[in-house]
Amino acid sequence: MSDHTAEGLVLSNPRGSGFRREAERAVRVMVNARWPIFAVVFLLLAAFAAVFGAWLAPFDPNRQNLVLRLAAPMAAGPDGGVFWLGSDALGRDVFSRLLYGARVSLTVGFAAITVGGTIGIVAGLLAGYFGGWVDDVIMRLGDIQLAFPFILLAIMFLVVLGSGVWNLILVLGVGQWVTYARIVRADTLSLREKEFVEAARALGDSTPSIIFRTILPNILAPLTVIASFNVASVILSEAALSFLGLGVPPEVPTWGSMLAESRDTLVANKWWLAVFPGVAIMLTVLSFNILGDWLRDFLDPRLRERT
Amino acid sequence: MKLRMHMPRVAAAGLLGAIALTGCAEPLEDTIVVGLSADITTFEPGMISSRDNANIARHIFASLFTLTAEGEHVPELAHTLEISDDGTSYVYTLNEGLTCHDGEPLTAEDVAYVFNRIADPANRFTGNTPGFVFTSIGFVNAEALDDLRVRVDIAQKNPIAFGLMTEVYIHCKDAYEAMTLDEAASNPVGSGSYRLASWTRGSEVVLEKVREPGNFQRIAWRIIPEASTRTAELIAGNVDIITNVVPEQVEAIDGSGRAEVQVVSGTRRMYLGFNLSDEHARMPGGDAIQDPRVRRALQYAVDVPTICRQLLSVECERATSLVNPPNGNASLTPYPYDPERAERLLDEAGWRRGANGTRFSIRLQAGQGRYVNDVNVVLAIAQYLEDVGLDIDLELMEWASVYTPLLRERQAGPLFFLGTGGGLWSPIYDMTDLAQVGSGTNYTHWDDPRWFDRWPDVVNAETPEARRVVLDEMLQVFHDDGPWLLLYFQPDFYGVSNRIAWQARRDEHVEIFEARLK
Amino acid sequence: MGAYVVRRLLQSVVVVIGVTLVTFLALQAGGDPTYLFVSERASLEEIEATRRALGFDRPLHVQYLSFVGDLARGDFGQSLSYRQPAMEIVLEALPATVELTVFAMVFALLLAIPLGVLAAIHRGTAWDGSITTFSMLGQSIPSFWMGIMMILFFGLYMRLFPISGNVPFLAPLLSGDVVTAFTNLPRTIFHLVLPGIAVGTYSLARNTRLVRSSLLEVLEQDYVRTARSKGLRERRVLIHHALRNAWLPVVTIVGLEFGFLLGGVVVVETVFSYPGIGRLLFAAINQRDIPLVQAGVVLLAGIFIVLNLVVDLVYLRLDPRVKLAGGRG
Repeated sequence: MSDHTAEGLVLSNPRGSGFRREAERAVRVMVNARWPIFAVVFLLLAAFAAVFGAWLAPFDPNRQNLVLRLAAPMAAGPDGGVFWLGSDALGRDVFSRLLYGARVSLTVGFAAITVGGTIGIVAGLLAGYFGGWVDDVIMRLGDIQLAFPFILLAIMFLVVLGSGVWNLILVLGVGQWVTYARIVRADTLSLREKEFVEAARALGDSTPSIIFRTILPNILAPLTVIASFNVASVILSEAALSFLGLGVPPEVPTWGSMLAESRDTLVANKWWLAVFPGVAIMLTVLSFNILGDWLRDFLDPRLRERT
Repeated sequence: MKLRMHMPRVAAAGLLGAIALTGCAEPLEDTIVVGLSADITTFEPGMISSRDNANIARHIFASLFTLTAEGEHVPELAHTLEISDDGTSYVYTLNEGLTCHDGEPLTAEDVAYVFNRIADPANRFTGNTPGFVFTSIGFVNAEALDDLRVRVDIAQKNPIAFGLMTEVYIHCKDAYEAMTLDEAASNPVGSGSYRLASWTRGSEVVLEKVREPGNFQRIAWRIIPEASTRTAELIAGNVDIITNVVPEQVEAIDGSGRAEVQVVSGTRRMYLGFNLSDEHARMPGGDAIQDPRVRRALQYAVDVPTICRQLLSVECERATSLVNPPNGNASLTPYPYDPERAERLLDEAGWRRGANGTRFSIRLQAGQGRYVNDVNVVLAIAQYLEDVGLDIDLELMEWASVYTPLLRERQAGPLFFLGTGGGLWSPIYDMTDLAQVGSGTNYTHWDDPRWFDRWPDVVNAETPEARRVVLDEMLQVFHDDGPWLLLYFQPDFYGVSNRIAWQARRDEHVEIFEARLK
Repeated sequence: MGAYVVRRLLQSVVVVIGVTLVTFLALQAGGDPTYLFVSERASLEEIEATRRALGFDRPLHVQYLSFVGDLARGDFGQSLSYRQPAMEIVLEALPATVELTVFAMVFALLLAIPLGVLAAIHRGTAWDGSITTFSMLGQSIPSFWMGIMMILFFGLYMRLFPISGNVPFLAPLLSGDVVTAFTNLPRTIFHLVLPGIAVGTYSLARNTRLVRSSLLEVLEQDYVRTARSKGLRERRVLIHHALRNAWLPVVTIVGLEFGFLLGGVVVVETVFSYPGIGRLLFAAINQRDIPLVQAGVVLLAGIFIVLNLVVDLVYLRLDPRVKLAGGRG
């Protein structure tokens, strides 16, 4: 797997260094490590499916065919079509649902990270920059959340809010913010006293400008690493919540909910219902993990301790 | 070096030991193991409300009369019942020599105590007996006339009060007077043939036989919520009977050679309700279903036999009204699947397809995880309704805390999916869901006078035959213009180990008294 | 040190109160749970009477304040569905979950350390490759799916392990029945194997990677190089210098791990019909059994806080350079 090369240096200010040289190094690290290439290729494929799935899908992913339910892969479907990957318990085409599922699953993953990341970054910046009671309140809120097993918190809110794609994104996102907040806070604390921040202050920049224009760009790099690991864990959480009946509504295909739906038919050997979404999840999670590793090695080997 | 040589052997011994240990898990000859899907919460007679909970309690507490699998009420603790002419006073005569599990004699005084204790508002009981039985019969008071005779007074004449009172769990007075409510909840002292031996919350209830009837010394009820796990335990031979087999797993069980699935046509009436309240009439589609012609049209739109065959893997008993067979109106036949006719009727009712092929939009609400394959059934129904030109806005909700309150406030709809428990012993029991327009169970707000104005005729009918005529007329109205899209009586799936002879009942009661080893 | 512990404990009180408030508001926001406590055919009057009996007709702040008042006296109230003291029920379910979590944690750590070390010292070889691939896979399989597959394969097909349920060890031990406890122990462990692996696999995979990478990092450090260059044997270097320092991040993880594993038990306890606190609380949330959920959540939060405090103190012993002032919250 990815070697962390001696080149992996700290980026003190990513905007400052030669972009081209950085890009070359990024590609070189990736090629040397080999695995990240597979990860990127797979994620591009998944993204392609997410964007163009509607055109690629041979069937309407929600069209039922009760008499053709639980058909094995390659079985004949309706209207002369073929169920390439079989059909599910309502006779819906697994392949088409998998393609549409890419869109929802990846959207949920990225949106949850965006929600969690945004809340976490803002909270961390405020806590780190202002310190004092602001810091206390924000960090105590973080403690409260961490003291809950996340899944219980998620269950509680989904039971109350009802399950829907947006509620799911919200809950999964809010579940992530503390991680980001803590890292951003620590970085902000140390940057606050740095010369270039002092300089900005001396030049009379407004506080929001200092926080978001001067400090923020300098702490983003490590967050991308955490984000790429978190996409993977969000996709898994989504599957777990689907299993508990709290995921997306049943007519919306996601890989997690497809896998959760397959559990009743496992004992009946309808393997295709579990294997295809299972493999899709596995490859996605794998890719994001590999990508996270690579990013970490690329950006700063010392980040390891914190992720 | 020497040590190394021994390693594989040690490992092998460990593995053998391990295999021997699993062998121990096989059920014993004198113990029957039943796998339930839902957890149980209490043994307090006044608090028991779920079916699974009642099924276990039924083995601990006997009742005055009991309901057979065929739907007949037969004597149990009492041998005779006399009802006063005005129908408000019930005198039971108990068998002689009855005792409770702690040896205390069971007399009329105890029975009166049981009834009055449950009704006592100070106890704040919310179970099936106070919440349903007593409110339905209008319980007033119970009183011992002598050692063996007890009189129960109810508010007014009620043709099904006798049947409902069989659901009261009988126990003795002294033991319960000595316990706090907390203690009583987990230490039942009953009058039935089994007593509680141990209870591990969320895991297992073990009952021990103390008297006849019963062929097993012990009944172990295991709580196994996950369907695949229940099935695996049954096939592995660790469990003898499981409830709620998922239809998709029937084949795997039947093919295992170790157990078989029994499917019975249950008494639960599955339907799609039309909420006809004024509030819903103002919602999209809510106006359309006010018209009985539209409701009738939709009856033809859903292919119930295919849903049953494919999603429930059986041919279901089709519903012709809200009454369980054979108590229904014998002249009625189920609506056939006829989408063309449905479309024609919708056209005639004035709801033609628009430019986008849609006649009207309507919301369909349902809970999930409650009935056999419910999510898939609802999705299939939605598809059939869309096929005849409706635009369905489907809302599937968490059952207990989201859907139930909506339902109880009669706010679900305009279309909603529901299964309501029924009985085999009286058509009136099934029909009392719609006793009044304002009944809590009239989730549809249906108010057809051809139904609701007939109840006095039912109560006051001179003979059973005369009553039957009235009932049949009401059921005809319900079939033609009723507020339910009639689906099916829910089939119940039980997995039964090959070592056991046991017959599943239609009414969701699981009774182990007659079960035996083959 | 004493002052630090006191300060941390005071902060914890704030956290616990926050936890109860969030729980209370979340569960109340979905409407009152009266309907779950009346029968299917109960009349509207009956429902109203039950609502009064359960106390849900009172204004929200009154309900919460009365709850907090009771809490201050150590009274968590009665579970609505069990009608038993809520804390008692939760404590009854706790030992089984502790058994499961400890098993999973031991499994995850015991295997992670040798696997991680192996991968690190054979960096770039097939060892490293397969261990890393395995740990990647382990991080991408949902636990419920793995649980069901293990039930079908190891439970049903191979008949190696029990499919569901548990045999208590801690519960009889705590009630003083040592004989039963130790007679049960082999079967306890036996019942823990499949659910324990299902809970612990994700952590095992993550910890393996963590051990590997922190060891790799330490091996690059100057003092290890110095030790090597002094001609110390590889194993000595590894044990005396590298591993000792690689421990730090692992210790940090252990504290957080417990909370994480507890999250996993909700799903796994359901799959394996394992009577622990996760399933109990999941059911309680669905039932809107607020006192029971409160008792469970406060207990779990308490355990989490204490555990993290202990971890921080251990951390302090291992690495005196860590300053007290910051704490880790």
